[in-house]
Amino acid sequence: MAEALSIKNICKEFPGVKANQDISMSIDQGEIRAIVGENGAGKTTLMNILYGLYQPDSGSIFIKGKEVKLHNSHAAISHGIGMVHQHFKLVPSFTLGQNIVLGIEPERFMLVDNKKLMKSVQETSEKYGLPIEINNLAGNASVGEQQRAELLKALYRGADILILDEPTAVLTDMETEELFKMLRRLAEQGKTILFISHKLREVLSVSDTTTVMRLGKVVGTVKTSETDSCQLAEMMIGRETEGGRMRQDNVTPGEVVLELKNIFVRDERNLLKVKDVSLQLHSSEVLGVAGVDGNGQEELIEAIMGLRPLVSGEILAHGKDITSTSTRQIRESGVAYIPSDRYKSGVAVEANVWENVIANEYYHPPVSGPLSFQASNIENITRNIIESFHVKTPGIKTQTGHLSGGNIQRLIVGRELGSGKAKAIVASQPTRGIDISGTEAIRHTLLDFANRGAGVLLVSADLDEILTLSDRVVVFFEGELFDAGIVDDEIRTRIGNLMTGITEGCLS
Amino acid sequence: MMKIKLSFPSKDHIRRILAEVISQLLNYLIILIIGLAIGAVVIFFSGLDPFAAYAALWRGAFGSWYKVLDTLDRSTVLILSGLAAAVAFRTSVFNLGLEGQLYVGAMAAAIVGFSFTSLPKIIHIPLCLLAGIVAGGLWTIPVSYLRLRWKVPVMVPTLMLNYIGILLTEYLVAFPFKDSTATMSASPVLLETARLPKFIHGSQINIGFLIALAMVFIVYWFMFKTKIGYELRVVGFNPTFAASSGMPVKRSVFLAMLISGGLVGLGGATMIAGFFGRFMSSFSVGYGWDGMMISLLAQNNPIGVLPASLFYAALANGALTMQSQTGVNQNVVGMVKGAIMFFVTAQLFLTFFKGRILKWKST
Repeated sequence: MAEALSIKNICKEFPGVKANQDISMSIDQGEIRAIVGENGAGKTTLMNILYGLYQPDSGSIFIKGKEVKLHNSHAAISHGIGMVHQHFKLVPSFTLGQNIVLGIEPERFMLVDNKKLMKSVQETSEKYGLPIEINNLAGNASVGEQQRAELLKALYRGADILILDEPTAVLTDMETEELFKMLRRLAEQGKTILFISHKLREVLSVSDTTTVMRLGKVVGTVKTSETDSCQLAEMMIGRETEGGRMRQDNVTPGEVVLELKNIFVRDERNLLKVKDVSLQLHSSEVLGVAGVDGNGQEELIEAIMGLRPLVSGEILAHGKDITSTSTRQIRESGVAYIPSDRYKSGVAVEANVWENVIANEYYHPPVSGPLSFQASNIENITRNIIESFHVKTPGIKTQTGHLSGGNIQRLIVGRELGSGKAKAIVASQPTRGIDISGTEAIRHTLLDFANRGAGVLLVSADLDEILTLSDRVVVFFEGELFDAGIVDDEIRTRIGNLMTGITEGCLS
Repeated sequence: MMKIKLSFPSKDHIRRILAEVISQLLNYLIILIIGLAIGAVVIFFSGLDPFAAYAALWRGAFGSWYKVLDTLDRSTVLILSGLAAAVAFRTSVFNLGLEGQLYVGAMAAAIVGFSFTSLPKIIHIPLCLLAGIVAGGLWTIPVSYLRLRWKVPVMVPTLMLNYIGILLTEYLVAFPFKDSTATMSASPVLLETARLPKFIHGSQINIGFLIALAMVFIVYWFMFKTKIGYELRVVGFNPTFAASSGMPVKRSVFLAMLISGGLVGLGGATMIAGFFGRFMSSFSVGYGWDGMMISLLAQNNPIGVLPASLFYAALANGALTMQSQTGVNQNVVGMVKGAIMFFVTAQLFLTFFKGRILKWKST
């Protein structure tokens, strides 16, 4: 079949990250191509380049054999590329029909012939078999219907190549089935479809070919009918742990320091994000929590720290019930917390260094007396933490926002662990986005504390980090926790399957 | 491993502090000049002499020893109102209800001042001021409740409570507490035991100013040296971080509102027990609103509130003299203030100077 789209040697670098390195692929007309990979593999960057949102540093894009330059999304649309984002971009107070024609209404003396326009939307809807109620307000439409409107929006603009960024993330199983039927029908009508996914089950059921990306590169492209989930999982996460293993094997864990019993948690939109999760964290143990971002890890951590209410379940720290106590009481019972978003939850960037260092200890001696602060003690404590955790700062009164990300993270780790009282450490994405020396230092610190008897609950979307540090691994998938067991030679395959939603054997 | 520099204060550190101080001074100076220049243009085009007008303005504010004392006296309520705004804004609680809290505090002080007879001065004065603090503080509670119970942002409810507070006090002096001998709506005159003592012969200035002065340092100490003040500031910087560190975010919001209302209520009380000696309807010419401007001018720093309030008081007193001596309408000063606030909030010159000075010093 004719080639619809091909890209050659695309490179894109962001400060500190090579998001796309020498990416080449070619996609035929009428093909459904799945692009899979871990968080940070470069999939979304590549799609944004194809949609004209980013400009590649080098490399070229060909549509139907002709080289094109996509300077913005208008250029991409005019070359027949349409994109459906993971989070829909519809105006909630407009009808679905109005959303579809928004911005391209033909005008005549400043007036829009609404009737004619809606008729043309209706025709497009019927032509592609994407049923929507065009007079329904977008804000009232179901998620599936909103997605169909997004697809129609692209098709109405003449898209021949459709890019879908994790289209099933927001759908129910039924809606997913429906979507796949529609995608196959569109492919039969000659549309080319690229979709990004983390879920191998879906990839295997709908795509013709699958391209696997890892660390900004294409690992390989396989015919979906000739592969199975184990092979894809292995391609996704590689065979070797990047950088080698830092944790010694065969650590004997001690008593339980943190225990979760049948935890259920909801998110802001009231969706159940954590479903019946139980786990035990032992002293001297590093327990890795793997999984694609957004599968409920954040909600679970916030629930542990008393920042998010539990629907039900029980949390015990050192045998003591800390369910629905305050964050302060949870911290005082020996739970330290390294949050994933350091700028949002880890520091106040406008406050200065000492003010951030004392945030957990400010309310009792030696930091403060009955009323006011003990300035000299604060200075000593702050200096101490700066020194022992190698925080590079011009001074203790420097505004924290002026420090680099790596140094801010060192400061947070120093504050959380510097007192030496932590028995359980909840570390979420502890090295995300920071430099190599900072990453090394923080990993060493975590292992140090584990060796000295603390339990570390290490939540990370970076599988290499998990495998470098952990004794045992559990995997989050759609709010449920699956045990991948002790870290051994086969763990990568087990994790790879579990994090893409496959719990039994190899699915083909 | 990397080397850490811990020698304090380093040369670089001193340079940064110097750059900060110099750029702040230059910033305010330039803004003042621009503000006055804009006023001068207006005066000029209305056919009057701007230099004569500004000379009169200066004489009105600082022309003599008594003028200076007058300016200090006028700054009393502005300082307290500015501090009230600074505490709230530092906590990122946008209390726009200072004016209403001021009136309610003033009314409470007046009631205590004219109703309790035969109390010694030493009890009656503190009681009077305390009534102002408590009433001003209590007036914030409905808003805090809405904020903490239903996450209603405080801006609109505080704004609305202004009307309720002002009109309520107006009603009280128009009917139940009206002094029948007075020609306008006013409460009875406060008893002599409730009046704030004057301490300089021939001037209106009273101990209210000294109390305000003391509050500048108390509020500074509270915000920067105590545990609770620290909580307030961290909540103001980043409530999510405050919560994940285990700080009482809700309590801090509640306290910031309470303290803010209390401070401006005290300001109202000092006006009644000091300057006026009775509650009069619409006695405040926007002192609550000025407090917010003063706090912005002081970059929400309690110490900075002092010079900012003196500046506002000087402009207010000077404007009167300017109008009477040169015929320039005192509203020109309002324009000058507006222009100054515009440039202060834009912070255009500050970043400009900071960058320049750092560059210049390092070359």
